[in-house]
Amino acid sequence: MIESLALPSYREQTPAVAERFQRLKERPVILEVRNLTKRFHGSNGEVLALDRISFRAYRRELLCVIGPSGCGKSTLGRIIAGLDAPTTGEMLLDGKAIDGPGPDRGMVFQNYTLFPWLTVRRNVMFGPEVSRHLSSSLAESEAQQWIDLVGLSRFADSYPHQLSGGMKQRVAIARALANRPRILIMDEPFGALDALTRAQMQSYLLQIWKNVDVTIVFVTHDLDEAVYLADRVLVLDAHPGRVRELMEIPVPRPRSREQFLSPAFVAARHHLEEMIHPPMEVQAETLPLGRMTVVGDDVE
Amino acid sequence: MRILGGLSPRRRAALTLVSFLAPLAVWSAISYVPVIWHPMVRVSDAGDAAWFSTGELVEGDAFAEENVRIAAAGGHLATGARANPVFLPPPHAVLRSLVTGFTTPPARPDEPWLHQALWHSITIIFWGFVISSVVGVPLGILCGALPAMARLTEPFIEFFRYLPAPAFGALAVAVLGINDAPKIAIIFVGTFFQQVLVIANTTRRIDPGLLEAAQTLGASRRALLFRVVVPSAITDIYTDMRVLLGWAWTYLIVAELIGVSSGITFFINQQAKYRAYDKVFASIVLIGLIGLGTDVFLGRVGRRLFPWLPSAGVRRRLFFGFGRTPGALEQTSDDGGATAPAKGAASA
Repeated sequence: MIESLALPSYREQTPAVAERFQRLKERPVILEVRNLTKRFHGSNGEVLALDRISFRAYRRELLCVIGPSGCGKSTLGRIIAGLDAPTTGEMLLDGKAIDGPGPDRGMVFQNYTLFPWLTVRRNVMFGPEVSRHLSSSLAESEAQQWIDLVGLSRFADSYPHQLSGGMKQRVAIARALANRPRILIMDEPFGALDALTRAQMQSYLLQIWKNVDVTIVFVTHDLDEAVYLADRVLVLDAHPGRVRELMEIPVPRPRSREQFLSPAFVAARHHLEEMIHPPMEVQAETLPLGRMTVVGDDVE
Repeated sequence: MRILGGLSPRRRAALTLVSFLAPLAVWSAISYVPVIWHPMVRVSDAGDAAWFSTGELVEGDAFAEENVRIAAAGGHLATGARANPVFLPPPHAVLRSLVTGFTTPPARPDEPWLHQALWHSITIIFWGFVISSVVGVPLGILCGALPAMARLTEPFIEFFRYLPAPAFGALAVAVLGINDAPKIAIIFVGTFFQQVLVIANTTRRIDPGLLEAAQTLGASRRALLFRVVVPSAITDIYTDMRVLLGWAWTYLIVAELIGVSSGITFFINQQAKYRAYDKVFASIVLIGLIGLGTDVFLGRVGRRLFPWLPSAGVRRRLFFGFGRTPGALEQTSDDGGATAPAKGAASA
């Protein structure tokens, strides 16, 4: 079926793209993860969730982490954010070892986690106030810039429950960025949104990222999302979670949704799909199903 | 009857009305329909019955037997109307007492007026509840937030809360004298231990995601406690406090019997001695009205205090909850057009 479609290799890069990756790798390393292992002690024995994960993220890179369910990609995000402790291994941020959560690593969660008792403005002020101990007026003017950046100036005095899911997630991004973190960890941030809002949010994120000096580690299970957003994609295997490949996305920037049908995009997506959902696992056509319709009433 | 669905305001109001009118209807039926219950007879003419007197309440069976005897002797039959016992006054008598209760001077000059008795009770409740809350709320929040604190205090409190507060009456009088202090102490004992446990549990139920978010924003432990735990839990704690205040009232009657009997309890007991059961009922109804009134008031205050509460998704543990009409902004969709997109081109 697919074979008839002549796809370029996902490794093929145009000179512009190749040069971009060249420059990316000359930038300073912001985050370095070395031999990270995480074991959980569950009811049925020990589970190796992450096995010797190592990778680097460069300054202002957008790195996606993708993998089948159970590969520990969310755990990896939480460990980088300091919310979970690794069993072994180390993480360096700007060359310094990190341990525990801190304002240098912002996090955006799938379920927004906005403080419901604070207005949008005060939610965004929270980080500057508690971590940098800014005065209320300073924090407020700081927050205003970030609220403007995510386009929610009109809703600065609304409470979270008055906002739609996409707007809430923009507030969450503004709140995390207001701390001026070195990296922003996003754990399936658009997973709870409908398809249209999700597409809009992906575009917003690229716009925001373009205007902010921040490295993004974006955890997702959505192949299109990963190819559309990422510079490189860290592909994880499941059981145990291991690095399968750190893949360079050959789609040139600036990205747009028209590129979804470009050969480079399709090739990259196809490669990801083959790694994450091997073809043999997707044979659901000949299930031993019973018949609930009258014979002769076939739809095909 | 939808399961867990909403109610239209009209239906809500109607059902509220019915919930009060239905018991009132039962009471009225028993009081005003002579064929329902009415086990007594109020004698209007004693006739030849030796031991009846006009206006007296006699048991129905005794009245009938007496008349059978009189009839056999060929005497003048006693007459009377069926009536309820003196301890079940009809609604109108109670209503009358509710109105006249405040204008009728006490039977004896050393007894309090109704409003004085009520006010005294309210001050007892107030101080008992305030003293309990000043210690209990912070302790409950700490127990909820800090597992070590919970382990340190909760096992003992769990034990202590099973001890009936009235059991401490004699002790409270011995230590605190016979006036108001032991009564306040009983309210305290009855409220405090439940309060700590209830508030600790409420605090433990806060969304752990909010704590994690705050940690990634650089919040210290102190900031986590005061800027995340407390505001997260405060709305539910407020609801808990409304429930607990109701419990405090249930300890009032016992508390007021300790030492020198006082307040509304003394008033009720005196009226019962005078067999003025309409006043007894009126006092009981007043306690209910004060409780309900306080709760409705606190519900409204809560709505003011916590403007971020949406109408849906809030636990409606109490009938007169924080209910609010759905937020006006609710329908705002996530539209790029309405809000200015971030500066920069349409793609990055």
